Amino acid sequence: VAKTSLTSPPWPEVKLPDPVEEAKYHAEVVQKVNKMIAMGQYGRLFAVVHFASKQWKITSEDLIMMDNVLEAECGDRIRMEKVLLVGADDFTLIGRPLLGKDLVRVEATVIEKTESWPKINMRFWKRHNYQRKKIIVNPQTVLRINTIEIFPGL
Amino acid sequence: MVLLSAPCWLRSRLTDRFWRVQEVLKYARHFRGRKNRCYKLAVRSVRRAFVRSTKARREKKRFLRALWITRIEAASLEHGLKYPSFISNLLKSQVELNRKMIADLAIYEPKTFKSLAALAQRRRQEGFLAALGDGKEPEGIFSRVVHHY
Repeated sequence: VAKTSLTSPPWPEVKLPDPVEEAKYHAEVVQKVNKMIAMGQYGRLFAVVHFASKQWKITSEDLIMMDNVLEAECGDRIRMEKVLLVGADDFTLIGRPLLGKDLVRVEATVIEKTESWPKINMRFWKRHNYQRKKIIVNPQTVLRINTIEIFPGL
Repeated sequence: MVLLSAPCWLRSRLTDRFWRVQEVLKYARHFRGRKNRCYKLAVRSVRRAFVRSTKARREKKRFLRALWITRIEAASLEHGLKYPSFISNLLKSQVELNRKMIADLAIYEPKTFKSLAALAQRRRQEGFLAALGDGKEPEGIFSRVVHHY
């Protein structure tokens, strides 16, 4: 039968690779990554952590400032549990949506608890003799990320 | 005899007018023209500046989100995907990174972004195959060729 414009659908045909071969390839990759983690052949690790209702991209030795109060004294060590992504130079571990607690460990210390600079909130309507001025001072907490560790548990 | 009105030489006079004026002028020192020196002009400018900063704090969130979306779109087009399909396929694969993180990863971790784009592309193809199904006609429908006897 001759090929017309309607013999095949207009979208490109999509073929997925063979599931058996794919499973073998996946197992190989997982083994390789596990070996790399066990041998410690990674440089600096970065992690994406969900903390204080925000997502942060953190490495070791960096500072984080949150715009709220944390119920921990200065100098307390904190373990951040909701880790979404961990990566190094050669591999990344993507969580769906979170990574397991036996895979990653992120530790942080509370450094200081201060207040923000006085922000001015002003409302003004012209010709109506209406103006309100309010000074808002938010409490802030500064954390230093000590370490990010991964364990070969894939 | 009780004297009810105060004598004329006792007046309540303002003594800290200088500091009250300085409180307003300190916010106007970096303005242009006479509004950084003259109180009457400075009061109006400072008031407008405060009102504009409060409104800008609300708009900053919208502006930054649009910026992140533009950046993610540019990065995903480099890998052959459009922004809506990228984001929807990432969400369908249960990866819950927000737009700020994906934009930062696209800038600072290109290899990670490439793997995310590959994940989204694979989920997209699986979605197409699931939607197309077997390619057979559904049951209970007779074919279009009707024979009249």
